[in-house]
This record gives sequence, structure tokens and C-alpha cells, in this order.
Amino acid sequence: MKEYDDKWEDQINALLDGELSADDADLLKAKASDDRALARAIVKAYQLQRVMDQVNVERAPHSLTKRLKAIPREHRSAPVFSLFQPRWAMALAAIPLVVIAVSLMRPDTPSASEIAQARHEMAIAFAYLDKAAAITGREIESTVGNTMANAVTGSVNKVIQSENLTSKEKEV
Amino acid sequence: MSRKYRQWVKEYQDQAWTVARYILKDAQEAEDATQEAFVKLWNHQDSIDPNRVKSWLMKVTRNGCLDRLRRRRDNVEFDESYMAGEASGPMQGAAASETAAWLKRAISGLKEPYRSLVVLRDVNQHSYEEVAGMLELNLAQVKTYLHRARKQLREQLAEVRP
Repeated sequence: MKEYDDKWEDQINALLDGELSADDADLLKAKASDDRALARAIVKAYQLQRVMDQVNVERAPHSLTKRLKAIPREHRSAPVFSLFQPRWAMALAAIPLVVIAVSLMRPDTPSASEIAQARHEMAIAFAYLDKAAAITGREIESTVGNTMANAVTGSVNKVIQSENLTSKEKEV
Repeated sequence: MSRKYRQWVKEYQDQAWTVARYILKDAQEAEDATQEAFVKLWNHQDSIDPNRVKSWLMKVTRNGCLDRLRRRRDNVEFDESYMAGEASGPMQGAAASETAAWLKRAISGLKEPYRSLVVLRDVNQHSYEEVAGMLELNLAQVKTYLHRARKQLREQLAEVRP
């Protein structure tokens, strides 16, 4: 049997899908009256459609429905990263505490270089103090006499110097 | 349970199951494949366009089934025993019709993508546009392939019902 022209295939399917215009439908019928292969194809297409209408969407078995409904319980969606979630807020709040703890845990004993620096600064300070004491002594001497000046400035200077050295040495 | 998800299960479980059943021809495996697709839907529900959930789900179901077929490697395209237990097969609603039973076998025996096209368009009644989205084909390709698939079915029908 002679095969009908494939260009009519689209027309047959459009006819079955209800998408063929009335004019094109008439054209197809006219062509089919002259082409037995085409006419046979149209008849078979209608037969196929009738059978296809008996094949419906299958109902999912109850066991599947149960499994699908259990999915939200069994498959929690993965947590999304957010700075506002409790655990992240807690982590952020803990950072200053960690910093404070680390700083408190640092040893408070000064290093050798820090001690040397402190001694140097104290020597400078005492030099200024001696200078100031000498000036003060001269002023007192000029007013109340040399004996009294020595009694005042000498003892003060000694006391301050010995106190500072003692406490610094203790720290070291 | 999310109300939205529950609604999706209600609306789409039959269609997804039908796709899986026709492609895999095995009820247990079809259940597993359908469940996998819905797990993915649950996990990705926030990133899926609500208007495209059906297309997304059918595509994922089909792809999952094809992956399973590839893994199966037995390459049996048509399992005669599939139709033997008619009551439990996809054709249970048309069990009385021998021709319908034959058609189901014939659809299952089609090669991809013809089989999926016939199931999605002619059995599940999705629109051409939806089918195009599900199979990632353009509209012209969908129509061309579907026409070829129907022609094959017509020719087989002519053999059993001359």
C-alpha cells in the first residue's frame, strides 16, 4: 500500500488535538477521499484516540501516599545559615568573653627589656627630682638657712627614692 | 507538615506515580522513584517557582526513573510480565479493555523520549507547553516526537486490529 505523505501527519495530530481549523479539516477530508493510505491513517488515529481515552492517570497506591506524607517528618530541610539564629548569636557574644579570658590568662611578670626600660625611666625621673630638690634647697637656704634645708629636702628625697626602688624590685 | 506540600502531594502524586510506573514497569521501584522526587520537592520547595511545581516534579520524577533504568542495566525495554498482573498495573482502571491493556504495553515499549511524551501528554493530559518544559524540548520538537510516537502506536494498533 502506498504510504501517505508525511506532511499530513501534523494535520492528523492537530485534528485529534482539536487544533485543526475548519478549513484545514475540510482540506484533510478532501485529500483523504483521494488517498486511501491517508484515510486509513485518520481512521486508525481516531481508533487510537478512543483507546487512549480509556487509559487514565493511575491512582497512587496507599502505601506511596503514606510515604509521601511522612517526608516532612523524616526529611527536615537543611538549616540555612543566618547570623540571627541562636547558635550564631551565642557564638558572636562569646567572642569578647574569650578575648577577656585570654588577656587574663597572660602572665603578669614583666620581661627583662620592660624592667630595663622601667629602670631607665625611673633614673630619669629621679634625676629630675634631684634637680628639683636642689633648686628647692637653694630657695629654702636663701630664706631660712642651710641647716634646715638639708633636713627637709635630703630626707624627702631619700624616702621617695628608697620606696620606689623597693616596690619596683619587688615586682620584678 | 507544610500545608503547601500536602496540597502538592494531593494534586501531583498520581501523575508522578503514573510517569514512574510506565517508565520503570515495576511497582516497588516506581514507588521509590516517586518518593525520591517528592523528597527533592520538599527539600527545594523554597527555591521552586510555585507556578512551575508540576513541571518541576514531573521532570525530576522522569529523570530519576531514567537514572534508575540506566543503573538497572538489564536493558529490558518491555517486560511482558508487567501486564500479566493487570489489577496492580497502571491500567487497573481499564482492566476490562483488552485493547487498553495492549495500548499500555505498547506505550511502555516505546523508546525514550516517545514513551515519556505519550505518558505526559496523552495519559496525564499535560499541555504541550508543560510537556516541553518537563522534557526541556522546544514546542516544535515536542509535537514532532509526539507525532512519531503516535504513528508508531497506530501502526502497532493496525497490526493487532487490522
